[in-house]
Amino acid sequence: MNLQIFVIGLGVVLLAIVIEVVRRRRLSEGYALLWIAVGIGGVLLGVARPLIDRFSDSLGVSYGANLVFAFVFVFLIVVCINLSMHVSKLEDQVTSLAEELALTRGPQTGPPGGSPPPSATDATTPPEPGSSPVPDRP
Amino acid sequence: MVPVLLAIIPALNEEETVADVVRSVRDHLDADVLVIDDGSRDRTTERASAAGAIVLRPPFNLGVGAALRTGFRYARANGYHAAVQVDADGQHEVTEAKRLADVIDTGVDLVVGSRFEAGFETSRLRRLSMRMLSRRISRYLGVTITDTTSGFRGFGPVAIERFADAYPRAYLSDTVEALMVAGDWGLRVEEIPVRMLPRQGGQPSAGTAKSVYHLVRLTLVIALHRFRRPLYVRGTDS
Repeated sequence: MNLQIFVIGLGVVLLAIVIEVVRRRRLSEGYALLWIAVGIGGVLLGVARPLIDRFSDSLGVSYGANLVFAFVFVFLIVVCINLSMHVSKLEDQVTSLAEELALTRGPQTGPPGGSPPPSATDATTPPEPGSSPVPDRP
Repeated sequence: MVPVLLAIIPALNEEETVADVVRSVRDHLDADVLVIDDGSRDRTTERASAAGAIVLRPPFNLGVGAALRTGFRYARANGYHAAVQVDADGQHEVTEAKRLADVIDTGVDLVVGSRFEAGFETSRLRRLSMRMLSRRISRYLGVTITDTTSGFRGFGPVAIERFADAYPRAYLSDTVEALMVAGDWGLRVEEIPVRMLPRQGGQPSAGTAKSVYHLVRLTLVIALHRFRRPLYVRGTDS
């Protein structure tokens, strides 16, 4: 019984943390939904012990908690793969942005980190047409 | 003569319709036309540019909200006093954009063109959720907005100035959450009915599962909005 209260408390704390970071705009709502679902799932698992036992019996798993562990493990792996995919996409995008920035800045003459890079307007070689982020008004 | 109005047209793979939209805006409005080609894989940029639009092209797809924010930044940097947002798929009747611009001229900061009085047809789930959104947003703003997800809008100088710094970019947030953000800033928001045209080309967006996800996400956004920190954009230095 005490264990159940502990698990429920853990779920509630997780929910509170997620809502607080969304409130601070440190986490986008899409990811927040995922972690809110995890928190609610945790609370439900805490109260649904008899249900888990019955379900694991029917699957032939002798100890219910092991089934929960297995599910949680698979779930977290899937989340990790998803996050790795997002990171890969972000890497590609940041690289592409840096290339665009290099092209927009135009040819450099000084050492890196020396004088500030010439802006697009006073660069000796104008940036290639169509690549400037804010072209002049016609 | 310096045009003070900018038509902002976010476009993604709209080569069939974008040129007609650009041309018709130039015919009917005293406005410059800015197309944000948001990562199209077709000839959207060429068509828009040939039709006389200024075309900006981010290096990859950013989503409508961020494309629009790019438009606001362009408008602010180049001193436009008003902007209208027009879809590239040809569903927005350009003569109606003129009416949006007229409302902005009367001192309104953000005007929404509502598709409902024109007999806007849509699925039952979508109609139900749009009614729910309308109720919540209207109560938040103290102004009745029936069509909260309409992307046919006009923006005044203050809206341009502030949205250039902070405009929600997630799908549906770019329309619905933007209204609440405008309300937080004390902007004057209004809605007028507009006529719509049938879709000219391209594909309608989003399947059912995805819409449900976005709706749940949006419900969370609306529920938490008044408790959240003000919207800002990381990396904005102005």
